[in-house]
Amino acid sequence: METILQSVVSGVLMGSLYAMIAVGLTIVFGVMRIINMAHGEMVMLGMFGAFWSFTLGGIDPFVSLLIWMPAMFAFGMFVQRFLLGKIIAGGELNTLLYTAGLSLLIANLALLFWTGDYRNINVAYGSPPMRPFGISVSVPLAIAFVLAIAITTGLYFFLSRTDTGRAIRATAQNPDSAALMGINVARIDMITFGLGTALAGAAGVLLAPSLYLYPTVGEILVVKCFVVVVLGGLGSIPGAIAGGILLGLVESLGAVYVSVAYKDTIGFVLFLLVLLFRPSGLFGAGRT
Amino acid sequence: MSKNRVIGTLVALALLGAPLATANPFFHHLLIMVLFSTLLGVAWNLLGGYSGQVSFGHSAFLGVGAYATMLLHLKLGWSPWLGLVFGGALAMAVAVPIGLICFRLRGPYFSLATLAVAEIVRLVALNWESLTAGPQGLLITHLPELKLFGQAIDWETKIPFYYVIAVLTLLGMGVTFIVSQSRLGAYLLAVREDIDSAEAAGIDTVRTRVVALALSAALVGMAGGFYALYFRYIDPDAVFSVALSVEMVFIAVVGGIATTGGPIVGAIFLVTISEIFRERFQSGHLIFYGLFMMVIIRYLPEGIWGRLRFLLRLSTQRA
Repeated sequence: METILQSVVSGVLMGSLYAMIAVGLTIVFGVMRIINMAHGEMVMLGMFGAFWSFTLGGIDPFVSLLIWMPAMFAFGMFVQRFLLGKIIAGGELNTLLYTAGLSLLIANLALLFWTGDYRNINVAYGSPPMRPFGISVSVPLAIAFVLAIAITTGLYFFLSRTDTGRAIRATAQNPDSAALMGINVARIDMITFGLGTALAGAAGVLLAPSLYLYPTVGEILVVKCFVVVVLGGLGSIPGAIAGGILLGLVESLGAVYVSVAYKDTIGFVLFLLVLLFRPSGLFGAGRT
Repeated sequence: MSKNRVIGTLVALALLGAPLATANPFFHHLLIMVLFSTLLGVAWNLLGGYSGQVSFGHSAFLGVGAYATMLLHLKLGWSPWLGLVFGGALAMAVAVPIGLICFRLRGPYFSLATLAVAEIVRLVALNWESLTAGPQGLLITHLPELKLFGQAIDWETKIPFYYVIAVLTLLGMGVTFIVSQSRLGAYLLAVREDIDSAEAAGIDTVRTRVVALALSAALVGMAGGFYALYFRYIDPDAVFSVALSVEMVFIAVVGGIATTGGPIVGAIFLVTISEIFRERFQSGHLIFYGLFMMVIIRYLPEGIWGRLRFLLRLSTQRA
């Protein structure tokens, strides 16, 4: 019983961060129909941002969120305005290849400047873990979980309550009609890509104290997030959240009850099955 | 037709003579890597370029070929060169069910599915330790002797490997040329331009794409066998990596999709730059892959070779 509880808790904690990254991926897809292969590198940049501000400036990684989230938002806007924005008209396959190029470029620049070494952040409260009800919960991961929920909820209210948020949703539904209603679609694209990048970067900052960081860490994370968004239905935010938690649970329960070695395989097999038989996602909310 | 034959002969002669230009082993290694990458680009292009199906999972076929070659030699004592051919056939056989599943999906969804398939294959290779030795990898210490015209081939030098990969690359380009001139090539282009219209015109689009994938996989599988014998060591993270799959895509796209000569131009360009970069710096040698991909997609969507060919045609028309 305790084993189940333990793996459910760690699955949900990890899943909340998958969900946050996947929400970023899915809003970009929803609005611009871009499958952003470089999304994982944005997470990696967030992780390294937290690492450097901690190592060089002694800033707590969770506090450095205040620096890196806006910085990543600005970076995302820049990428959309000057790079990706010029490609969108070329169609989905072109943007796919273009972001694959961007992903390789960012990861290899990081390799060049920061080398491929594994690094980690040792915060003072990193150990020992909390022990509520006899299960072990890592403190940094618990803080990350709370902040991930806060940020994702914040985004949800931004999209549902503000004018800009409504404009984003309108553009996702139909860019042409949105433009006819007086929405500046190019500006909305920039904001959306900025938001997606900021979410990825923030997730990176939150994950930095809990994972090893190295320049190609994004490769693994982005593939997992493709799994998540497809499970939840591409373009759907609630779907991405549910998919993230689901993948977290599948991984942690799979590691205990199936095999540690094949826990990642379960996720991919699930992914293929959903792609083939329910392309709009498990909850039917996405677009096919 | 005769023009093509002249170009083909010239390319073949240039390939034959290239390693004699210098005795520098780095140069030989560079030539081998260029041809190896060309072969990967050529094979990927057959499916990705002509039919527009962007696969991010071709390393699955490379790994299957590499492991087949290694295992047949180490466990059953087959000649590795026979194993290489068999590896190609096995990759082809594996490609058929993968194609039948993944081709139910279109555009980016197909790309994501291939990515997942390759990851599944990698994880299986990593964990099926009784067969693959898992993350430890497989090693061939000594290649069995092979005699050509009564003379034993010296596998300690790089030149014999160069000729092997040159033959395989020419084979790949030959297959591409034949396909591009055939009905299959026309079908593939029709699928790329508009799959629904192709379907309406009576083309069996799934079968067409599966055939192209199988040919492509066979070439990549043989390239994998070559990789195993040239480096004499393979492990799942090396031969099943996403990076290799992506590299194939980049070489074909930068060189020029749906052209016979594009991948060779892309490979010469990208491999030379990245190998020289690798000599100078510790890491990050794929920077230029990313950079050129972005530049090409934005400014030269027909690729370097595609643009050169266009310019050549213009100038001959004027003259």
